[in-house]
This record gives sequence, C-alpha cells and structure tokens, in this order.
Amino acid sequence: MIYLDNAATTKPSVSAFDKARVFVTERYFNPSALYNEGFALQSELKKARSALLSPVADESAFELIFTSCGTEADNQAIFSFARRGNVVTTAGEHSAVFAAFAELKNRGAVETRIAPLNKDGSVDVDALCALVDNKTSLVSVMHVNNELGSINDVNDIAKRVKQINPRVIFHVDGVQAYGKLAFRLAKEIDAYSISAHKIGGLKGVGALIKRKSLQIAPYIIGGGQESGKRSGTENVFGIMQFAYAAQEKFLLLRQDYARLKDYRERLWELLDKDVYTRISPENGTPYILTVAAAGLRGEVLLHMANDKGLIIGTGSACSSNAKSRYSKAVIACGYDEKTADGVLRISFSNETTQEEIERAAAILNDIGNDLKRRMQ
Amino acid sequence: MEKVIILRYAEIYLKGKNRGFFEKALENNLQRAIKDIPCELVRQNGRYLVRSFAEEDAETLVEKLKKVFGIHSISVGMETNSDLESILEGAKLVCRPNGTFKVESHRGDKSYPLTSVEISKKLGGMLLATFPKLEVDVHTPDVVVRVDIREHGKAFVFGDVQEGANGMPVGTAGKGLLLLSGGIDSPVAGYMMAKRGMKVDCLHFHSYPYTNMQAKEKVVELAHILSQYTCGTTLYTVSVTHIQEAIHEKCKPQFMITLLRRFMYRIAERHALKLGGQCIITGESLGQVASQTIEGMTSSNSVVEKLPVLRPLVGFDKNEIIDRSLAMGAYETSILPFEDCCTVFLPDFPAIRPKLDEIAKEEAKLDVEGLIEEAFQSVEKIKI
Repeated sequence: MIYLDNAATTKPSVSAFDKARVFVTERYFNPSALYNEGFALQSELKKARSALLSPVADESAFELIFTSCGTEADNQAIFSFARRGNVVTTAGEHSAVFAAFAELKNRGAVETRIAPLNKDGSVDVDALCALVDNKTSLVSVMHVNNELGSINDVNDIAKRVKQINPRVIFHVDGVQAYGKLAFRLAKEIDAYSISAHKIGGLKGVGALIKRKSLQIAPYIIGGGQESGKRSGTENVFGIMQFAYAAQEKFLLLRQDYARLKDYRERLWELLDKDVYTRISPENGTPYILTVAAAGLRGEVLLHMANDKGLIIGTGSACSSNAKSRYSKAVIACGYDEKTADGVLRISFSNETTQEEIERAAAILNDIGNDLKRRMQ
Repeated sequence: MEKVIILRYAEIYLKGKNRGFFEKALENNLQRAIKDIPCELVRQNGRYLVRSFAEEDAETLVEKLKKVFGIHSISVGMETNSDLESILEGAKLVCRPNGTFKVESHRGDKSYPLTSVEISKKLGGMLLATFPKLEVDVHTPDVVVRVDIREHGKAFVFGDVQEGANGMPVGTAGKGLLLLSGGIDSPVAGYMMAKRGMKVDCLHFHSYPYTNMQAKEKVVELAHILSQYTCGTTLYTVSVTHIQEAIHEKCKPQFMITLLRRFMYRIAERHALKLGGQCIITGESLGQVASQTIEGMTSSNSVVEKLPVLRPLVGFDKNEIIDRSLAMGAYETSILPFEDCCTVFLPDFPAIRPKLDEIAKEEAKLDVEGLIEEAFQSVEKIKI
C-alpha cells in the first residue's frame, strides 16, 4: 500500500511514540496533582511547549496553548478575536476557519468579508488589503492551502494589513505549514494554529500559538489548566509525542523540503499530461501536488487507485449536491466545474520514497487512461 | 401492584382456526424486538403483557413495541388487585392531582360484583376525594382513567392508549426481495410489505468505483432502520458497474436507465428464487421519474418470468411517501447526499416511453447472460 494522503493525516512517528510511551506506562499522573510525580509532569509539558514553540517563534513574545486539534485552535482564535466591526478571511480557507466565519455571519454581530484567490490558490493580497479598514477587528489567512498547497506569505500580508489598521488581530491557520516550511513568526502575527497529526503526531492534539499580551476568551473553563486559557486535564502522552515528532521534523526540515520538492516535480513529470492538468503552483508546498483529470470524476479515480493499493485524496468528498461536490478552493481559483470535479490531491510525508512516487505515477496513469476510455 | 405494558392485537382478531399461528409469530416478533431489555412477555386472554421491567426502560420498551406489526394499541399502566382500594392506588398514578378527568371501566370478568358504570362512579368519587382540585369532565377530560377488570382478581388501570404499528405479524405472509436503493421510496415499500406480514430481504445495486463507500454505508443504515420493522433482514449488494459500462459503450444513451433496470430485475428475480423469495418488491410510484412510467414498468416487468413484482407505493404521491418515511424514521438517512447509483453515465434525455421492440434491439448488442453471471460474482451478504 502506498499512502499519499498525508495532507489528511500522517502516519504517527513511531520513534516519537516510543519516547513518549513512558507517559502511559509509568508517568501517567495528573500534571495538576501536588505530589512529586504529578508535579514533575509540569516541567515535561513546559519542555514540550518550548520544543514546539521555539522553532517558529520568539518565546519571550509568544506562548503556546494546547488544544484538542487544529480546528479548536482556529475556532478559539476566531471567536475570541472577532469582536466588532468587520472580519476578513480568504476564499481558500479550511472549513475550520470558513465555517467559523459563516457562524459569525449567522450571529450577525460582525460583518464578514472574504478575499478572493489568485489562480495559483494564494490569496489576492491587494484585494484582501482593500477589504481591511479601520473597523476591521480580525484577519485570518491560512499559511498553506490544504487543497492546492499554495503558500501565502503571511508575515508580509500581516505587515501590510497592520499598516492599514494596526489594531487588527492577525490569525494564521498554519496546520499545513507547521513543521514543513522554514519560517519564523513576524511580530505582526498575533495567533497561529497548528495540529499534531499532520507531522507525525496523533489525532486529538493541536495548539494555538499566540502573542502573550493578547487576551483570549476561553471556550472550555474548569480546572484552569493552560493558565486558565484551556481547561481540561492535559493529554500528556499526546503532547509529548507531538513534541518529539516535531523535533524530528524540524531537525530534517530543509532536507525533507528539498527532497520532496524533487519528488513532487518527478511525479508531475511522470504523469500523463493528456489526462492530468496541474493545479498546484510550483512555488507551493512540496508536500502537496494537486492535479485535475478534467472530465473525469476525482472520487472515481480515488476508488480505482485505492483498489490498486494507492491511497490519495480528492479536493472534497462526493455528494450529489453539486455545490459541495467540487473542491471549494479550486473553484475559488477560477477553474470550471469540470476541472474541479476531477481534482486529485497527492500529498507526501518525510517517509515518502522515490520508489513510491514512481509506482504512484504508473498507477495514476493507468487508472486515468482506463477511466477515460470507459467514459468515452 | 406492578407497572405493565398492555399490548392489544390488530387484525389477528379476525382469524379463525389458524389464529394460533399468527399469535405465535407475533409473540416471537415481540420477543425479538425487546430481547435486549430485561423484562418478561406473557400472553394473556387475547393480549400480551410486558412486565418485570425497570421503570426507566418503560419508554424504550414502548418505542420498540410500536414497531412490531400485528399490534393495534399499547398502554402503559398498573396491574392491581381488583378490589377498589387497590385500583385506586393504581389510578392515583395514572391521574393528575388537578385538571379534569373521567373514568372508563370495562369488565372482562363478568362475575365482578359491580357493573362498569358503578365502578366508574365509585372510583371517580374516590379520586375526587383524594385530589380536591380535580374536576370531572366526561366530554373533553385532560385524563381518562381506564379500568379493566380481569379474571383471577386482577385489574389493569391505565391512561393513554397509544397506537401500535397495526398490520399483520412479519413472517405470516411469505418472503419478498426488496430492491433497496439509497432513496426515500424503497425503505417505505419494504415497510408496507412487512406491515402485511411479509418477511423482507434487501438487494442493493451499486456502481463502485463510480459510487462510494458512504453510499453503501447509507444503504446498510437504511436496512438497519427497516429491520426494526421487518424483524431483521439480510442485505445483499451486487455491482452493476460492468453492466453500466457495457451499456454505455454499446447502446444508445437514452436507453441507459431502461436497460439497466431490466438487468436489475433479472438479477433480482434469480436472486429471489435462490433465497426462496416469492416476489420482488420495488418502491416505484407511477410517473415519479422517467423510468417509472407505465411503459417503463412494462419494460422492466417483461424480463421477470416467474415472480410477481409488487409495487406497494404505485399510487402514492411523493408527499405521502415522505410522510411514511418520516414516520418510520428513515427520512433523515434517505436524504443524505450520497449517490447510490452511478450518475456518471446518466443520459441528458432518458427515454420516457421506451418501446419493447426498440429496447430489444438495443439489448441485443449486449451479452446479457454473461453480464448477469459476472454481476453475481460480486454478491455480498450483510446480515442486519
């Protein structure tokens, strides 16, 4: 089986799992407990926090709050910071952000504004800046688009937005970027969401990185964990495994980046251009190659690939509701429905091998031509 | 005094010498419906009683029992001794301390010293004395306290009479094979036949890889919902992918649906015969879609040789079907947006009134037997 749907989730890092095992077998205590064994876990969590935060941000200015997933981190940020006036996001956002904006619109307390995308899937920055005014309270822009792999230069966008209105809170959904791109958070970025299971961690662990000086309204209140910002007994094992997995990723980040960029280009080179059109931009993340088999249905190809031992993703799931069937981001880039219907997302991890790339290309060419013939 | 659920027969009353057969079937079905909840089911003088259950389970039991065909009505009440003081104790639990009420009495035991009217009067008086704020209203009371004097010095006291599923016990009217799609109609068609006592198995056609796993899961879920009424069912799935591809490749596009349906009916009949089924059941309703015109039905019917095709919804409007779907609890699942049959090959303009000779001409381009045999290789069986 070749697994190339790593943008959906990655295989958990087994070495990180082994290192964290002790937090299940021996050090299973409650970190809030007063005895030594419990209390000692606080310093482990502190180490994990630092291991996750220091590679991307200045620890004196930013803090990290653990959550149950990237979606919770996004929601926490959006519902805390969308306070008044208007809020701005992009047409390419993941539903964790997009649906939260739709909810804000429903509640009617703030005006929501959506910036369009460029053809390559990045946000049209000029159009976004034109939506920001002195009444804007929040701007949320994803770092890497989960459907196309396009990269937004969030540091630069944040600077431009703050030039227009320095009081704006700038949030970034960094779920597809963290641990995969080399970057440091600019001081203009206020909050940044991450998720463990996209980089070898486990499902059920995420975090919101935020500027220390910024107040948030906690959703979950109770025992006062995470300095009162997110109550609930900490998922010690999940957090420790996440930190170990992230350490591994950051250590090899540049090598992985370069290698996967080669793999992505190699895969595209091998794909039959009579069947597939490239959607992902070349300057996007090397972890994602999105293509479209125009006139064919992506989900049918997904099933056919599955039967041949190749696991890939589509833009979004099949549904007879035409509106939701097509990849939202691909439509937002200006592609027609026929192209959007044929979208396949092939996404890699640091464990992906050259041989898998070659075999995947052969399978994709095979099934693409097979389906094309059957549909004629 | 004990809380009991009283179940009354529906049409079985009309049965003569073979009533025992129906009663036994009903009893088995009732047992099956409530097997997961600790309780005792007993048959007693033309009714069933459920007893020895935990107070918390009463509502769940009623919900489950409401889905068993053959039951006319259900009441939750108290079984007491038949002296008036004991009956009053039960009546206090059924009645409210304020508002209006009346008492209706019935004597199963004619040797009881009081007449029905006397029982009602006396018990009414005792209730008024117990609850000073209560008033009598014989026309539109808030609560009706019903008393049923049974043999052996026992009585039932109950309030509401809830309607049961009616119909005949499943398993008393043969066995049919339902063509179960993921839509609204077919589960209702299965329900209607089960209501008349038929045992129903299900056959689903899919077009993987053109349709997806969620679509299949949806059909499994629909079969689960249906199985609450059909006393269990078995779902068979068959792939028609290659049949659709062959039609697409060789025949005129407007005949896709007509030809596909003929394949489905052929497969259904052969499969039904294998299972010992006695008919094919479909959710067709006249004129609902292009393939459900009388010409469409004639075309599919003409390939079925030995079994009747029953279409219990043929005269129903869509709204009527939706109401029944809602009532049986299938609607929410039926409208989940997963494609259940390939829409990739759907023609823009299907033939609405296909003629048999035209169809035969198109079908002659296909290896009908070979395709059917191949389809049978893909049969999967899922016990629900």
